[in-house]
Formats: sequence, structure tokens, C-alpha cells
Amino acid sequence: MSAPTTPAASAAPATPTPPPTPAGLLRLFVGVALVGIGGGLPAHTRRALTTRGWMTDAEFAEAYTLAQLTPGPNAVNLAAMIGARLLGGGGAALAVVGILTPGLIAMLTVTVFTLGLPGGLPPAVQSGLRGAACAALGVMLTAALPVLKVTAGIRFGPTLAVITFLLLAVLRADLLLVLAGTMIVGLILHRPRSGE
Amino acid sequence: MTAEPLDILLTFARLGLVSFGGANLPEIERVLVEQKDWITPQLLANGFALGQVMPGPNMLAMTHYGFAAGGWLGAFAATLGFYGPTALLSAAAMTAWQRLSRWRWLPSLRSALLPFGAGVLLAGVLVLARGSIHSPAGALIAAVSFALLWRTRVNAALIVVGAAVLGAVLGL
Repeated sequence: MSAPTTPAASAAPATPTPPPTPAGLLRLFVGVALVGIGGGLPAHTRRALTTRGWMTDAEFAEAYTLAQLTPGPNAVNLAAMIGARLLGGGGAALAVVGILTPGLIAMLTVTVFTLGLPGGLPPAVQSGLRGAACAALGVMLTAALPVLKVTAGIRFGPTLAVITFLLLAVLRADLLLVLAGTMIVGLILHRPRSGE
Repeated sequence: MTAEPLDILLTFARLGLVSFGGANLPEIERVLVEQKDWITPQLLANGFALGQVMPGPNMLAMTHYGFAAGGWLGAFAATLGFYGPTALLSAAAMTAWQRLSRWRWLPSLRSALLPFGAGVLLAGVLVLARGSIHSPAGALIAAVSFALLWRTRVNAALIVVGAAVLGAVLGL
């Protein structure tokens, strides 16, 4: 959508744009999902919001930080938060439906094809999937890099990360127990100082 | 094997709620492969790879796993379970954000949560490697993909599709 050039009232620095509507919100997140093949959803969400003038960069950064702190898939959490902020509970539901629908249709189509075959997958398709899985491992590693980088800057961060890794991957410990343990140790190590 | 839709819904809801920073593959593997026996390690890796080339969130692999566990109803139960509760929680957290932003324990919480998230991600890389790499050629594809993504701005979906073609040609 190209923003129409504003006729009068160009004295205000903020660009006057139409306010978010339910249909507009749904369209925004369907669009984000479609351009977000291969990742980068938060970046696409940010651009879509700021070009429409529905959110400032600071407001977006706030929502993004919060999305990291809540459990679940970040991109979908972010959509729910932005929807809630712009249009309340119904907005949250529309945003989540919007960001999930294109992929859901595509994934169901492929799933029915690959899992529904009576004799299992043809060898060439299975080989292709194996190749894709290897590349997906590379994608996963790149996605982990920013988190590893931030963690490296936290006091005792690398130590706690390695302990978490060993407990989960090597000892196969229960995730909730490991989460509770790391949270308690982390909160004690980083408790707020009374001087601040 | 066909699982109960309600069992699928609750199991995936729990998996969503214990995922921080996106995919929590170690727990997904532990529950879906080992505990429930709904999917195989091969299907876990396949679904994850498919998720990379789908529009939208990568963890739509959940829909794939749900279908394997319980058909159409299973696919919808898994999707609703994995995304629904966390989305609700997120919307609620947003409305409480103003009060939360002045909370003095918030930076402490962040500093405690991030190393945990990093450990989960590293364990996830190991889980995925065990499911997807069965040959030196596979390891090479993974290494080259990582190098390309790290050093260039090539779209991740293109790299995954390229690797799929390579895999089919090589007969991995």
C-alpha cells in the first residue's frame, strides 16, 4: 500500500495515517507471514507497523523485549501483543490468526502429501528432506547466535548456559526443574541492588 | 497410532508454555518421541525442515507433528494448543506492561532467563543434529548453510530449498 500524500496539515512532524482497523490489522499480519518465509518475522513486523504509523520504534522495541520474556514462539507472541495494544483482545486474536493462516494452509497441504502416502515417502523426496534438515540445522545455529552473544555479556551467563545445556542434552533432565533451578540461581546472582 | 485430540491439545499447550525464545526442541523430542511415541526422530527433523520453508513462524512444524499423531483433528489440536495459551498470555502481559516496566526485578529476570534460553538453544542444535545428520555429506551441507547464513544475506528459505535439491540429487 502506498501512503497517500497528505494535503494540508503538513506542519506536524508525525505523519497522519488512518488508524488501525480490524481488517487492516489482519491484512498486515498475513502480509508479514507471506514475506517472512525463512524467518525475520520481527523485522518485517516492525517495518509494516512503522510505515503505517501505527507504532513508533520505541513502542515496538518495548513490545519486542516483552515478547522475549513470555514463553512460546516469539513472532506469534509479538503479534498477539501488538494486536492487543492496537485493538484490544479481538485485535490480539486477529493478529495471531493472520500470522498463522498462510503457513498453516501451506503446512497442511505438504503434510497431507508427505504423511498420507500409503507406501511412505518416495526415496527422492526423503533424500531431499534429509538435505533440507541439514540446512535447517544451519538456520537454527544462526538463530542461536544473537542469544549466545547477549548471554556472553551477562555475568555468569556462559556458565549458566553451559550447565543448562549439559543438564538438558546430556543428562536429559526435566525442563521445568532446570528452568526453576537456573531462574533461582540467576535471580540471586542478579538481584536488584538497594542503592539504585 | 492415533492419539486422543484432547491429549494432543494439552501436550502441545504444555510444550508451548515451556518454550522460551522460540523452539524448545529438547523438550519436544523428549515428550513427542520418547515419552508419547507419537513421532520418530526422522519425522521430527523432517517437520522442522519443512517449517523453514513455510510462510510465517518456523514452528509450524507443530502442525506436522500433530497430524502424524492424530490426523486432521490432531493437526488442529496441536496448532491451537501450541500457539493459543502463549498468545493469550502475551496479550495479557502487554496490557500489564506499563506497571511491569518499572518493576525493579525485571532486569534481574531478563539476566536469569537469557542464559537458560541459550542453553536450551544449544541443546536444540544437538537434538536436531542427531536427527538430521547421518553422513559426512549431510554435515557438510549443514556447515555450508551455516556459513552462508552467517556471512551473507541470502534468504534462509532459499538455502533450505537448495539443500533439499542437493539432498535429492546426492541421494542422502
